[in-house]
Formats: sequence, C-alpha cells, structure tokens
Amino acid sequence: MNITSGEAPIQTDDPQFSHHGLGEEYVEDIALKSRPIISIRFRLFLAFLVIFAFSMIVALWSIYALSEIQVKIRFLEAAGNYLTEIQQARRFEKNFLLYGTNLEDSLEHLRTAESILQKNKDTIEKILGRNSIQGMSLQLNNYHKVLEKVGEAGDTEERNRYEPELREYGGQLVSDATNFVVKEREAVEDALSLSRRVPFYFLGILMVLIIVITSFLVKNILSTLNRFLEYTNRIGEGDFSPILPKRKYRDEFSQLGLAFNHMIRELDKRHKILIESHKLRAVGTLVAGVAHELNNPLNNTMLTAGLLEEDFERLPDEEKLDMVQDIIKETERSKVIVRNLLDFARASDYKIIAMDLENLLEGSIRLVHNRVKLAKIELQMKLTPDLPPVHGDEQALQQVFINLILNAVDALPPRGKITVTDSKSSQAGFIEIKVSDNGPGIPEHILPRIFDPFFTTKVKEKGTGLGLSVSQGFVRRLGGNITVESRVGGGTTFTVLLPTTEVPSSVSAAPSP
Amino acid sequence: MKRNLRIMVIDDENIVGKRLKPALEKEGDIVETFTDARNALERFSEQQFDIVVSDIRMDDIDGLEVLEQVLARSEKTKVIIITGYATVEVAQEALVKGAFDFIAKPFKPNDLRTIIEKAAKELGR
Repeated sequence: MNITSGEAPIQTDDPQFSHHGLGEEYVEDIALKSRPIISIRFRLFLAFLVIFAFSMIVALWSIYALSEIQVKIRFLEAAGNYLTEIQQARRFEKNFLLYGTNLEDSLEHLRTAESILQKNKDTIEKILGRNSIQGMSLQLNNYHKVLEKVGEAGDTEERNRYEPELREYGGQLVSDATNFVVKEREAVEDALSLSRRVPFYFLGILMVLIIVITSFLVKNILSTLNRFLEYTNRIGEGDFSPILPKRKYRDEFSQLGLAFNHMIRELDKRHKILIESHKLRAVGTLVAGVAHELNNPLNNTMLTAGLLEEDFERLPDEEKLDMVQDIIKETERSKVIVRNLLDFARASDYKIIAMDLENLLEGSIRLVHNRVKLAKIELQMKLTPDLPPVHGDEQALQQVFINLILNAVDALPPRGKITVTDSKSSQAGFIEIKVSDNGPGIPEHILPRIFDPFFTTKVKEKGTGLGLSVSQGFVRRLGGNITVESRVGGGTTFTVLLPTTEVPSSVSAAPSP
Repeated sequence: MKRNLRIMVIDDENIVGKRLKPALEKEGDIVETFTDARNALERFSEQQFDIVVSDIRMDDIDGLEVLEQVLARSEKTKVIIITGYATVEVAQEALVKGAFDFIAKPFKPNDLRTIIEKAAKELGR
C-alpha cells in the first residue's frame, strides 16, 4: 500500500532507493527547461542599456549643438568683420566725396568685404537663402562698380552725380550686413537657450524612463517571488506536486524552480520512507494485538484437545463430537484473525473498487477491537442501512478509519466512548462517516495544524504525526475530505466525506475479511 | 484421593470454564466457573474458595483487580493468573500483588493441575 499526500512525479526508476542529482532529466522539469532564456541579468542589462543609449543620444546631441554654436559664433565674427569692412568702405567713400582722398582705402575695404562674402558664401546661403546672398553680392558689385566709376570721374560735379546711386547701394549694403549680423546673433542665442533647456528635458524624460523600467522589472520579479512564497507554503502543507512554468520564458527563477522541484522530490522520497516506517509501526502494533488475540482460540483448542486426549476412552461419543467441533470452531477463529492481519499488511497498490460501507467499517473496527478493549474504551457503531456504496482502496480506507479510531483511543481516558456513525451527506453524492469521542477535545490553537504532516500531540515514540496527513491525502485523492470539530472538554468529531459510486454496474461488495 | 478444594475459574472465554471444570473435578475438587468477573466476586463474598484461577484480561474487571479483591477478602486463598501475553512485567506485577503463580495461554489441563497441586500442598491438603 502506498499512501502519499502528493502526486508523485513520473519516474522510470525506483525513487526510494536511488540518488538523484540536479543534472538528471525529470518529466516535470522539461517544461521549465524548454522555455527560451531571458535571464534577470539580461533584463537588467537591457534596462540599463536603454537608459545609457538615451543618455548617449543626448550627449551626442549636446556635442553637436555646441560645435554648431561654435561655428555660428565664428561665423558671427566673420559677419561682424564684413559689416565693419562695409562701414569702413563707406567712411572712406564719404572722405573721397568730401575731400577727394582715400578712394583706394575704400576700394581696399570693399575687396576685403568681397573676399569675406566669398569665403562664407555657403554658410550665408544656408542662413539667409540663395536670393539674399545673390542680392548681397549683386549690391556689393554694383556699389563697387559705382565707386570705381566715381574714382574715374574727373571733377566734383561728376562725382556728385553718382552720389545718390552710391548712397543707395551703400545704405542697402550696410542695412543688409546689419540685418545679417542681427539675424545671426539671434540664431546663436536661440541655440544657446535650447542647449540650456535640453538638460532639463533630458532629466525629465530620464526620470520617466527609470520609473517605467523599474516598475516593470520590480513587478516582474515581485510577482515571481510571491509565487515562490506560495510554493513554500504549499510544500509546507505537504503538497508535493512539482512546480510548472507560468511564464513564456525562463530566467534565474526557473533555476530556483528546478531546485525546488529537486527539493520536492527529495522531500517526497523521505516522506514516503517515513510513511513506510509509520505503516510498519502500525503493523507492529497490530501484530502484537493480533498475537494476543490469537492466544484465546489457541488456548481453547489446546484445553479441549488436552482433555480429549486424557479422557478419550471414557468419554461418550456425543461429548467427543462436541469437543472436536469446538476445536474446529476455535481453529476457524484463529484463521480469521490471521487473515485479517494478512489483509492489513498485504503490500499492494491502490485498487479502487466499490465497496459496502458497513463491511468496510466493521472490518476496520474488527482490526482495532483489541486495542480498544485493552484501553477499556466503549466503541459504538450506529450505521444507517442501505447506504450507496463508496469507492476507494479498501486497505487505505480501512487505515483511515483505524487511524481515526486509534487517535481517539489515545486521547481518551479509560471508560471513554467512541461513536462511529454514517449517513448521507447534505452534499449530494457524498456519504459522511463521523468518528466522535467524548475525550478532552483539541485546543483551538492547534486545531488548524492537526492535518499538517509531522504534527503530533503524542509523545515521540507513539506517533509520527503522519496519520492524519496521510489519511487526508488519500481521502482527498478520492474526491472526499476529512474535517474536524472539537471543543476543549466537549469531545472531538472527525467527519470523513466520501463520494459514492456513480455507476451501479460496478458495485461489488468488498470481500468479507 | 479427595481433596475437596473449592476452586473458582474466571475467564470470559466460556470454553475455558467448560473444559476446565471436568478436568479439575477429576481430582475430587469442587469447581465453579464464571465468564464474568463481577458475578464471580459476588459469589466469592458468599462462599470462600481455596483457589481462584483468573484470566488477566477481561472486559470489565481484569485479573489483577480480581486478585486484589480476592486477597482483600480472603488472605489465604491462592490466586493463579492466566496471562495471554506471557510478558515478564505482567507476571511480575501479578506476583508482587500476591498471586500464587501464573500460567501462560495456551496451556493443557495438566499444566494447570500441576500448579493447583503445588497450591494444595501449601494449603496443607
């Protein structure tokens, strides 16, 4: 009989006596291992990479913006020079017109202005547009030509004729150059103010980015941690089913999951060994009881046979027949006791069959009868007739009831009373069997723990703390449940809820033990 | 040889009394058998017995209790305890409490007769 409180993983070898390392393949681990790897390390790296890339873009932009500003400032210098050259040219032009001197200086300045304009042609074109640069160089050209003409003119009168033309072109040149410088200065100021504002934008966006990434990672990791918290609780309660993947990828937590599965296997293995030893102990107790029980029919047989031997010649046939019949009857009685023991100890897997509850309960009570009697406890059965059959493994279910009755026996003082009753449950399709005692009851603070594996109120030698946990595990696997009600000083009632057999054709009463 | 010992046999298995009565009466003793210790003790207060043979484990009143009550009423009565499980502890407890001897199940009529004979000698019969 194998009673465990968790589903054993499918294994091809005997889990009890072989040692498994982490490296071996298990069915329940395959799903965990086959997920694509997205490790926490990788996710953290990715998060920091995003932040780094964003910072880098901003840094590159800053470098670019600064170099642009530098170019603009240089250009602004050139524009300033140009304006100065034009202004100088015009000053000398006035001198020439007034005093006839410095024409050459004026032309010199114009040439310098022309060369500045030529040198920065592309940049100016970019800033002011093709038309403006063309206009500017046209005006400069015109002014130059007029100035040359003025230089070639013979007298003051002729010079003065050119004066309005000269003034017009010159004025236009100066205002264009001024306009150009002003425009360029505005552009530099715009660029500077933008590069003053950008760090604030950057910090704002970086903050949002960090908050989003952090909350995503934290949520991700915390939800998994919480899941593992549930696993530890579940395993603590004795549920040894393996951890299966809940995500589409795997990471360090999957490794933890694999380690958990390994731990669960080890726990399950030890649990099974403990159950085995617990079972052996139970068998040992029963063997002692049964051996004692066996002495009575053996003694009756021996006494009768002894007397028959002594008085064989003298006894009437009638008396002899009675004695022989007694011997046969007592031998039959011994046989039943031995078979009960064998039925109980027989190692076999679960055989789920439909069985008559009355036979099942009577069989269980027969097995503990001796212990109950020794402890001077009154055991009463109040069975409801004609209940539908239940299904389950006969030995396992018997052990469930034996466990409950023996627990009650251990809790009761001499002259205590145990009542076993069965009835239809209020839940359709279920039957409930109540094992009640009038003992001291279970204190409220330990009541929730009594089904926990290894929890026991008995002294170390007497209990492993597995009986109720194993029983609960078995009954739950059948679709039933065991509940407990207890009040200090008011006794304890364990209720075993068992599903009835649905299909009448499979009803086969359990073989009478 | 007529000893006329009064012997009481108490065992909740009725075959024990049924078979021991004729087996012990062969020696000329007077044997009364009981399956219920309470009835046996009631009878004992009416009638003194020389020897009480009692099973140790019985439902209501066990052999050790019978031993104590019998000795309380009649010091010289020899009490022989029948034990199912012949463990040293139980035998010792019975002897400490004043049992004459004990006999382990299963036994033959002759085994008990031997012990009764020893008791009879001590009683001076």
